[in-house]
Amino acid sequence: MEFPQPIALSDLKPGEAGRVESVDGDDALALRLRDLGFWPDTWVECVRRSPFGDPTQFRLRGYTLALRCDEALRVHVLRESD
Amino acid sequence: MAGTKTIALVGRQNAGKTSLLMHLSGTMQHPVNFPGSSVERVEASATVGDTKLLLVDLPGISSTSAVSPDEELALSYITEGPRPDLVCVVMDASKLSVELGLLKSLSSLGVPLVCALNKADVAEQAGATVDHTKLGELLGVPVFPTNGATGEGVAELLDFFGSEEVVEALDLGSLVPDELAKQVTKDLGVARQSLTERMDGILLHPILGLPIFLILVFGVFQLIFTGAVPFMDLIEDGQGSLQGLVAAGLEPGALRSFLADGIIGGVGAILIFIPQIVILILCVSLLEGTGYMARAAFLLDRPLSKVGLSGRSFVPLASSFACAVPGILATRTIENERDRIATIVVAPLMSCSARLPVYVLLIGAFFPVDQAGLILLAMYMLGIVVACAVSWILRRTKLRGSQSLLMMEMPVYQKPSWRVVGSQVWTATRAFLVMAGTVIFATAIIIWLLSYYPRPADVHEGFDFQRDHVEKRYPQGGEAAKKALKKIENLESKAYREQSYLARMAKFIEPVFEPAGFDWRITVGVLSAFPARELVIPTMGILYGVGETDAGTYQVSWLEGKPDRDGLRARLQDARRDDGTPAFSPLIALALMVFFALCSQCMATLAAIKRETHSWKWPIFTFTYMTALAWVGAVLVFQVGSALGYA
Repeated sequence: MEFPQPIALSDLKPGEAGRVESVDGDDALALRLRDLGFWPDTWVECVRRSPFGDPTQFRLRGYTLALRCDEALRVHVLRESD
Repeated sequence: MAGTKTIALVGRQNAGKTSLLMHLSGTMQHPVNFPGSSVERVEASATVGDTKLLLVDLPGISSTSAVSPDEELALSYITEGPRPDLVCVVMDASKLSVELGLLKSLSSLGVPLVCALNKADVAEQAGATVDHTKLGELLGVPVFPTNGATGEGVAELLDFFGSEEVVEALDLGSLVPDELAKQVTKDLGVARQSLTERMDGILLHPILGLPIFLILVFGVFQLIFTGAVPFMDLIEDGQGSLQGLVAAGLEPGALRSFLADGIIGGVGAILIFIPQIVILILCVSLLEGTGYMARAAFLLDRPLSKVGLSGRSFVPLASSFACAVPGILATRTIENERDRIATIVVAPLMSCSARLPVYVLLIGAFFPVDQAGLILLAMYMLGIVVACAVSWILRRTKLRGSQSLLMMEMPVYQKPSWRVVGSQVWTATRAFLVMAGTVIFATAIIIWLLSYYPRPADVHEGFDFQRDHVEKRYPQGGEAAKKALKKIENLESKAYREQSYLARMAKFIEPVFEPAGFDWRITVGVLSAFPARELVIPTMGILYGVGETDAGTYQVSWLEGKPDRDGLRARLQDARRDDGTPAFSPLIALALMVFFALCSQCMATLAAIKRETHSWKWPIFTFTYMTALAWVGAVLVFQVGSALGYA
């Protein structure tokens, strides 16, 4: 049986969703990500990318936010295929 | 002692604390600076029965770990001093689990907590309701449902604040936000796509999104420039009448000139901006209140980041196209200090509305009509391009450092709160009046002094001689006499100005501007633009013998499509230097416009920069780099143009 590998949140394509596995680091960026609700097992969906390619709009915990690629890189998710 | 009870409102940025504060307190809210910082908290007072309340709206926080100066100060207000009697956590019901996380970390601070559960309507729209009673029971903390938009539930909250009930500080360390949120939330099972999602589908469309945005921006600017005209007309008429009264009531002389040109003219130069600023702030506030601004930042973040700014720099920079002063004040929303300073320092390069009359005058006088639009656009683009370059360089040198975090919530689209909008417009307008007003006024008086004095008697005698001659020639008066006298008056004004202290200063520094093709009269114009850029117009009017051309009149008349009142344009075309050669040419006009585009001539802007950066370093830096760039630009244009044979 294969265990799905966690991918970076930034690798999630528009329309895909996943569950948070972990957030890297203990710096301001990581703390802020956790404050925003990126806790383990949180369901997060990639909504769309900006026309210029960055940032990306994500939906989680009933609200949406914009994350830059280097911010989303810190979050590891397990992709869920619907 | 019926002392004042202090209640601090804390919560995340979009929880709705500001609207709530407005409903809680009937009186005006006062922004209060944290000592030694431009970060503000908003205080207001209220009375419940015998108890006086001091309500404090602290900057938004996300947890007990602070990431920006705003958050540090908010947290230290709670933990260090002055410790509030009660902390009211404003929570967004549509994000309950995240808010409970915040509540949990706040409980570790050991302060008495109360919850205001806000935005239940938004939660409903998203398809869920929260049982606030159950939440209160499970938490052991009083929970009050509130609606920051309508004011529902505020009375009960206020009563609680004023009551004698003692609230214990609880430790919620064992709280599991997700579980608790699930326990108190009921899913309404409405799975339809929300209005916000549908609107985002259009406004953030990969192809349509940017064009829609550009149209909106264009629309706002159109509104600012056309909507302001009738008000500017009123102000201009008022100014004219007042000046007429002064002229009628006083003998020509220092007092009359001081009142008419110095004071009324100075105040007029400030007031003429107000209609544009009000409309600008109104539009920005509305766009912000509906939630669209977050979308604009989402669209622009990448290109702006590439030059060292941030998506949040968009509003301050766009605002600066109308006036840099409110634009610079708007940089408070930029968390990262370096991004913020970079934005502040390049904001004055966005060609503000005061530069526009200068462009229009020079383009109209020296360039064919079919090129006009292109050149105007080029001047605006120049500012933008230079701003990108300066920001890029700054972020790699003086302001080198980590990039800001974006991590921006994109709120649900909602109807803006008119109270909040009104308050923002009032605050910004007042800030402009007070700050810009004093600076512009003071500088205008100084420039008046320098251009009025000295008043040598022999100049006056010389013209009196001419006036006598006219009277002798036309003993009955009449049209011809009036015209002749007016002409003498203009020549007299010109003669006085030409030997004024300001003119002497200009003649002294003339060599500096020679490589740009400016003669000393143009230099006087440049110097007199320092209080307010459009003052260059009346100055040029006088120096080139057209008489007292009013800056406000000029600005209004060009907006109305009548740009050559008083024939200033024609006069510029005929203007001569002291040696008889033409003072202007299309090339010189272009060099002058480039100078104006890049030069830091606005004292009000520099004052705003000092206030927002809390030091003299940045306004001095801005003044220096911009003026240097302006000089280099003007010289380059003139020298290269001359070499290419355009002189």
